[in-house]
Amino acid sequence: MFWITLADYAGIAAIVAIGLVVLTGYGGMTSFGQATFMGFGAYTTAILTTRYGISPWLALPCALAVSGAMAVLIGAVTLRLSGHFLALGTIAWSVSAYYLFANLDLFGRNDGISGIPPLTIGSTRLVGSLDVLPVILAAVGLVLWGTRNLLDSRAGRAVRALRGGAGAAASFGVDLFRARLLAFTYAGVLAGLAGWLYAHMQRSVNPTPFGLNAGIEYLLMAVIGGVATLPGALLGAAFVTVINDKLQDVLPKLLGAAGNYETIVFGVLLVLLLQAAPEGLWPLLVRRRARTSRPVHADAAPLPRRTLPAPGTPVLRVEHLRKQFGGLVAVNDITFHLDAGEIVGLIGPNGAGKSTTFNLLTGVAAPSGGTLRLLGQAVAHATPQGVARLGVARSFQHVKLVPGMSVLENVAIGAHLRGHAGALRGLLRLNRAEDAALFAEAARQIARVGLAADAHRPADSLALGPQRIVEIARALCLDPALLLLDEPAAGLRHAEKQELATLLRRLRTDGVTILLVEHDMEFVMGLADRLVVMVFGTKLAEGDADTVRANPEVVEAYLGVPA
Amino acid sequence: MNGGVILSVDGLSVAYGGIGALHDASLSIAPGEVVTVIGPNGAGKSTLLNAIMGVHPGIGAVTFAGRTMRHLTIEDRVRLGMCLVPEKRELFGSMTVEDNLRLGAFRLRRQGPAPLDEAYALFPRLHERRTQHAGTLSGGERQMLAIARALMARPDLLMLDEPSLGLAPLIVREIFAIIAGLRARGCAILLVEQNARAALAIADRGYVLETGRVTLSGPGAELAKDPRIAATYLGGKKGL
Repeated sequence: MFWITLADYAGIAAIVAIGLVVLTGYGGMTSFGQATFMGFGAYTTAILTTRYGISPWLALPCALAVSGAMAVLIGAVTLRLSGHFLALGTIAWSVSAYYLFANLDLFGRNDGISGIPPLTIGSTRLVGSLDVLPVILAAVGLVLWGTRNLLDSRAGRAVRALRGGAGAAASFGVDLFRARLLAFTYAGVLAGLAGWLYAHMQRSVNPTPFGLNAGIEYLLMAVIGGVATLPGALLGAAFVTVINDKLQDVLPKLLGAAGNYETIVFGVLLVLLLQAAPEGLWPLLVRRRARTSRPVHADAAPLPRRTLPAPGTPVLRVEHLRKQFGGLVAVNDITFHLDAGEIVGLIGPNGAGKSTTFNLLTGVAAPSGGTLRLLGQAVAHATPQGVARLGVARSFQHVKLVPGMSVLENVAIGAHLRGHAGALRGLLRLNRAEDAALFAEAARQIARVGLAADAHRPADSLALGPQRIVEIARALCLDPALLLLDEPAAGLRHAEKQELATLLRRLRTDGVTILLVEHDMEFVMGLADRLVVMVFGTKLAEGDADTVRANPEVVEAYLGVPA
Repeated sequence: MNGGVILSVDGLSVAYGGIGALHDASLSIAPGEVVTVIGPNGAGKSTLLNAIMGVHPGIGAVTFAGRTMRHLTIEDRVRLGMCLVPEKRELFGSMTVEDNLRLGAFRLRRQGPAPLDEAYALFPRLHERRTQHAGTLSGGERQMLAIARALMARPDLLMLDEPSLGLAPLIVREIFAIIAGLRARGCAILLVEQNARAALAIADRGYVLETGRVTLSGPGAELAKDPRIAATYLGGKKGL
């Protein structure tokens, strides 16, 4: 009986911990406040069933809706914070919710609410620990299934990109705030479900199990189990539940009942454990297997393509673009243009303002002045998402791929704007046709850049050179009219550079317009139709390779003048 | 002291994640000598300095003041008399100029006013600004402070990573005049620069680094006239 009760508790805790895997492990947001959402779910069902006589099963959707709505509300306010501030924020509202539960008559103050009816199936009342266990296990199974589906969907990949690849995800049209809010709400709803189960198993609720201490314990479970693994959530929940109970059992016999030594011993155990297994228990037990290859349906319906601008029509018009950081003018009145079907290189010595210009074009930074026209449209306030929607795709100077995700999944993020399935469709596996189309497109672009053999490997297991090529495949998945490449040749071997040049020439033939910032002169001069040379934030020269190379001012800019 | 060589680098290679950034680089510096390593962006110049300083692990021999630097930490190397002024200056922005300087002498046990006075004599502008926060300095003053802070430890080898970076030509001239003047202090200087002409004008000897390899070396005045250097930076045919 004792073990069954523990299994009930561990199962309920596992549901909360699975939410934390999505939120913290994949989304990179730390929350100490998940017990609060559990409280919202538990109190909702407690109030509805005891005061209004509603059946627990009817109260379930209400409990989920209330915890979800609270998560949206709290998330809308706190998710603008990041890192430590977000974690502190979750502590703050967790503490205030605790006092809310403990002081409002609605929630029965400190005494809580008792007399909650048990769950019933048919005419069977699930009163004992053993009776509710199947329901809890079924809930855990369902949650695991749904969470797996979600993480493997278009919306879930956006969430997974938050850790490590947020900047890249934004430039492919992912609304980062919405992705964060989705993860937060999902974790909140799962906690609400756990709260509903808890209320009907325990038959009474009071504020204590929904306080900050409980919230910290749920986070511990996820971290101990392995915060970026779903099985880890189960393992962590079981481990913490059992250890806590055993310590309370054994320690008083060893050390006497005078002090609460279990907290200290638990703390010590935790520190030792995390030193031995910083990634958590599950990754320690199970060596990460090489990714099983995901079937790609090459016959999936192709995604609609955009009509590329006719050769020679204007693609990018930059006029008097300016960026000032305080007194420093990083980009000073730059004017240049790109026409469809051109490869243009933006070059200049270190500190010339090339990266800043790139950031202005991609909506990462806002210009202090000047105008920007992309594909015939004036862009007044460029955002990474808006620029992506216009058909501009980019690569990054410092490769931004989502670690742990396969090459194929990373590249599929590039097609984010070409899919529409939301989180709910992903959760329920109703997105299969669209996902198949997205992955077929990703596989096509990977083959286009010549990396088909590596499609199913984790992206971070590739060497730097191929990783840069993966970034280009991801950019191509957007079906771009304009491709912006930030130092694509940096760190590439000689043969790789030649392959890259061949690839970019082929893309030009296919009608893609390319602007690249590049330091490798041999590479960029052999490739670009035109070069724009920047020095100290201003445009110094423009023309083909020979013209630029022969320009004494350019030579001086690069080699300097004798002091 | 080892045939008048303060630093010798022999067959030094560095790789980041399997990609070689520096291949088999060798160079040497005598006490009091100004040696420059020039090359375009991405040639491996900063990597070379960082490997000498022990910031990045490298394969190959680095010998300083007759001792091998193998297994020595950055702190050890500083104690033995190396000092690196990094490309980003890395000043303590919310501390005063004077506190920044004092921290430069952190390794010296006796910390009298003498080194401070010397620093101010060398950089009068810093004396004017001594109570100001380092974060409020101009680009040129920051570079001066970074160099002055490094000198506070009285190094035998001063390594400068692109001191001209982001500075207007007039300021570059001022900074380089100061660097040339440091020769009188007897401290060897390893100057990494993209600004080849300014660096070669003050250097006794120079090395050209290209995609991680030393491709040319020789007296500064000779290299300054070598047309192959322009080709290194801007591509095109070598040996014009």
